[in-house]
Parts: sequence; structure tokens; C-alpha cells
Amino acid sequence: MTLLSVRSLHVHYFTPQGTVRAVDGADLDVPAGSIVGLVGESGCGKSTFGRALMGVLPSTARVAAGSILFEGRDLVPLAEHERRPLRWRRMAFVPQTAMNALDPVQRLRTQMLEVLCERGGLSRTAALDRAATLLRMVGLDPRVLHDYPHQFSGGMRQRASIALALALDPALVIADEPVTALDVIVQRQVLDVLRDLQHRLNLAMILVTHDMAVVAYACDRVAVMYAGQVVESGPVAAVLEAPFHPYTMGLSHAFPNLRDDAAALVPIEGAPPSLLSPPAGCRFAARCPFAEHACHTQPPPLVEVAQDHLAACWRSTSAQELRALAMQPATWAA
Amino acid sequence: MTMQPVPVIAGEALVKTFRLRHRTVQAVQGVSLAVRAGEALGIVGESGCGKTTTARLLLRLEEPTSGRIRFLGEDITGRHGPALLHFRASAQLVFQNPFDALNPRFTIRRSLSEPLRNFGIPRAEHAGRIEAAMQRVRLLPAAAWLDRRPHELSGGQLQRVVLARALLPGPRLIVADEPVSMLDVSVRAGILNLLRAARDEFGLAAVYISHDLALIRYVCERTVVMYLGRIVEEGPTAALISAPLHPYTKALIAAVPVPHVAQDRAALPILGSLSENAHQGVGCAFRARCPYAVARCGEETPGLRDVGAGRCVACHLAL
Repeated sequence: MTLLSVRSLHVHYFTPQGTVRAVDGADLDVPAGSIVGLVGESGCGKSTFGRALMGVLPSTARVAAGSILFEGRDLVPLAEHERRPLRWRRMAFVPQTAMNALDPVQRLRTQMLEVLCERGGLSRTAALDRAATLLRMVGLDPRVLHDYPHQFSGGMRQRASIALALALDPALVIADEPVTALDVIVQRQVLDVLRDLQHRLNLAMILVTHDMAVVAYACDRVAVMYAGQVVESGPVAAVLEAPFHPYTMGLSHAFPNLRDDAAALVPIEGAPPSLLSPPAGCRFAARCPFAEHACHTQPPPLVEVAQDHLAACWRSTSAQELRALAMQPATWAA
Repeated sequence: MTMQPVPVIAGEALVKTFRLRHRTVQAVQGVSLAVRAGEALGIVGESGCGKTTTARLLLRLEEPTSGRIRFLGEDITGRHGPALLHFRASAQLVFQNPFDALNPRFTIRRSLSEPLRNFGIPRAEHAGRIEAAMQRVRLLPAAAWLDRRPHELSGGQLQRVVLARALLPGPRLIVADEPVSMLDVSVRAGILNLLRAARDEFGLAAVYISHDLALIRYVCERTVVMYLGRIVEEGPTAALISAPLHPYTKALIAAVPVPHVAQDRAALPILGSLSENAHQGVGCAFRARCPYAVARCGEETPGLRDVGAGRCVACHLAL
């Protein structure tokens, strides 16, 4: 069952230089109870996408078009007073730096009670009980309720902010780079907490990250974003092992990996296009070693290229051949 | 026996204690390491393990509490000011965040001429040297970049400028502290490849500091693993990753995810977290988190011992 279904979402920022099309026609499906990785580079629109889902865009940004179907209801036309009851109760947010979710000068208890009593309508005793349960669920000792977040380590803060997000039993959690600032051991522990919660609570999650290895470790599905659009999506195994979009192919040997013996790493030369005036055709065409004439003039639609696997590439029928070429460093040489 | 060349940089029994208002932090507790010309050494460990402080000590940006620093065999520990000028030109740092490393109001040209001026390179040579440096980091044609300011460049392009600037004074040693962690994944490889090429071309000694073992594996032949201010394991990178000896190294390697669906998701062989177990005093600093600890680990601090094949480990139980 699909819990969240986003179609052709457009989010625009209005700046003195013009309209930045940060998200420009992105599609995403999140089945109930599954973790979907949303990967992409800085500036590709993945964080804006997450914020648009939560309805917490900055004042300079607006959803310009598209639909966000969540539990059978389109959220885009809803007014703020209709969105508010959904936030935290049905969908919750975990930011990259936990300090943005936690107030350093309030005891954790104060903050958890505020959410549980005022928004959740629990009595104080019931709320304290629930707070202790939530903390145990993320692997923290309930005694930390009496402490201030500034006393916590990075891993504890991130666990506490996950516990806070889960307070009102949401169906969907959107986590924006939740492990990026953490050391590998702590990162792994936090990812294990997320996976454990998924199984225990049948929680669905969107994990925004730039790290393909994190996606491979923790996610069931993945959507790859490039320059404001989802260019490929599907089950993690399919997208990683048999990618259809050249950007996904390029990413897989653009950075080192602890196990595979890569003689040479191959960067994708160039940089993503400006979203002030995106190019007419495929947005990756300027960096793509396989681009043909059509790629520069017509934007490729996101279509099914294999069972349950979508990609937006004019050359997807030659994917097998392109994958072989993409393995060779010379292909990517500028 | 062949004569080993003199290391470009060597730290001997380095100790650094920071005195804060209410407590002292023993950031580095007796670290010795040496890097030879053409060699790249990786320093890995969690935040707070002392890896950045160690690098700052080697670069003489921080005064050691005790221990010596030798540059090409010469003791430079107590030197200051003009006596250190030659070393300053010879030892360059590549910063983590290229957005902070360049003055936003300077053009790229000005940022690049600054070190040449500081190290007394004749003015007539500046243009040629800058051109060559831009070529080395593949920002071509140089003229198209030199009059721009940092905000007009992407992170990857800025890091190339930072690298060009570091290479300009003709260093013998490059220290790179998380050189790509702020950059997009698609351009990281470009920077790492340039760093490797510069090392090979000039026979530089290189020190990479990172918490990312995969990156270290790509650029460093030798790696030291630090835990709470001490080296707990040292050895050739490939061997250290394929067969780690110290329980901490084992946990560190097991924690690194790989971009494949099939991977080890078993619980990590490590207990608790760093902050809860920041132990000081007698005994192994890792013992509270070590699943294999025995009584001896609490009674005697394990020293770093040579176990052959260029490997050292500080653990009573290893081998």
C-alpha cells in the first residue's frame, strides 16, 4: 500500500536574482512501512523536497504545482490550520543537526512533555511513561530526561531527536541527513535504531542523504535526485546493481568504497546546472558521456524501465551497454 | 640492511594537554609517527580522538606539552618566527571547508599570490608559478578563473584553488584534514586524484586525517588508528583493513557501510559510546567498550608493540 505519493512536485524559491526551481517536477512513492532513501548532491533539491512534504518551507519558497497524496489526501491545497494537525501526529521530521530539534537550555523532559501533553493530549503521568518508553526504544536510558541536550554527545542528541519525532506515533518520518554529522560507529548505531523502529512500529521513512552506502545499508527503496528532479527510483538492489540513469552509474565509482578494489576513482566532471535557468533538455546532459542530440533539447520523462524501476533517460534502452562503458574510467574523462 | 631515508616529518612522543577552566583534556598522549618523502599516512579515529591535534602539532600550529618534532631530521620543536619561515613554506595544510579557507573578498589571483609574497618569491616569478599551479589542479584556462571571487566557484572548484595555493610555495609536506568531506560525492574523486598526483610528482610526504576509512584506503599506504589520544594500531592500510588487530579497529571497519545490498548488518563488536567511557588512568583506554577485555586490561596500559610485517598494535590480547 502506498502511504505517500508525490506527483510532479514543483517548489520555487523567490530570490532577487529570479525564481529558483529547487524542485522541478519530482515524483516519489513511499509504501507503508518501508524506508526510502532520497539521494543527491548538495543543491539538488532533496532537503527542499523533504521540507515541502512536511509543509515547513521557508517564507521565500512555495509549492508551485504538483500533488502530495498522503494517506489518501492531497496536502498541497490544505491551509496551514489543516496541515498543522498532521505534523508530528501523522508525519514527523528529524533534522540533520539534532540541536535544531532540541532546545539546549530546556531539559529533555520539558521538551518531551510539551509535545506529549500539549499536542498529544496525554496526562503528565502518562506522558512521562511514554517518554521513558520512547527513549528506551531509541536505546537511551530514561534518566537522560533530566539532562540538558547540550550535555549529550552527537549520537545521543540524534537518538533523542528521533524519540521526539516518534512521540505521537507518526506513520511517516522524514529524516534529513540524520547521520551525516556522526562518526562511523555512531552513524551505524543510529541507522540500526531507525531500522529497528521500522520493523517494530511498521514505520515508513524518507531518509535524505548523499551517501549511497547509507542507502544500501538501511533503505528498501531509493530515489536519486538530480537538479530538482527524481531521475531514477526503485528497489535499492535494482538501482545499485543495474542502474539505468548515467548519473547513478557515475556515482557508484565516484567515491571510495571500503571493500571493492577500485584502481582509480572517476569523478563526474562539471557541476549541476543553475536552477535559476535550467537547461531545456535532460539536466544531466552537460555532464553525461552518453548524451545525444535529443538529450540536449527534450527533457526525458520518468518511465518504467524494468519491473518497479523508473528512470528518466533517453538512452535507457541501451542501459546494459552504457553500464559496461560507465565501468571504464576513460568514459568519464573530460 | 638498507638505509631508510630521513623522514620529512617526525613526531616523537608527542603529548598535548589542554587546560580548561575546570578540567584538563589530554588530547594527545604520547604519539610517535614519521612520514617519508612520497609516502601518505592516514590518521583515522572518532571525533575527539586527537587526530586533528596531532596534525596541528606536526605543523607547529600548536605547541606540544612535551615531545619533539623533526623536519628532515632537524629538531624544530622550540622554534618560532623567522627561524620557522622555511618550515612554514615547506609544510602546507589543505583545509576541510574550502568556503572558509579563502578570503571571500580576494580574487583567486590575490589568494594565490599571497603565499608567494609571504615566502619572498620574486615578483617576476608570480604569474608563471600561478599559471603552473592552476594547470596542476586543472582549472583551465587559468585566465578564466583568476579574476573571479570565491562565491562564483563551486565547492570542488574552490578546493582545487586551495590545493593550488598549498602547492605554490613548493612544500615537502602536505597535511589534509578531511579534504573532501564538505564536497559533493561526484567531485570528491577529482580532488583525491589531484592530491595523489601532486604527491607522486613532487615526492611529497602527505598526512591525511579522516574518519572515513574508505577514503584513507584510496590514498594512504600506511594508516594509524587513534583512540583517546593514543595510537592503538598502525600498519599498511590494506592489511589493517582486511585483518584488523585491535578490537577498536575491528569495530571501526565493521561500522563502515558499503554500497551493496548484501552486507554485514550484525551488531558491532563495541559497547557503549565514547563520551560515557572517556576513561583516564591506568589500563587500556578502550577496555570499557571492548567485548574481549580481561582483568589485565584494567591493570596495565598496553604499549604499542611491533608484531611484524610493519604492523604495530596496542592490545594485550592481539596475536
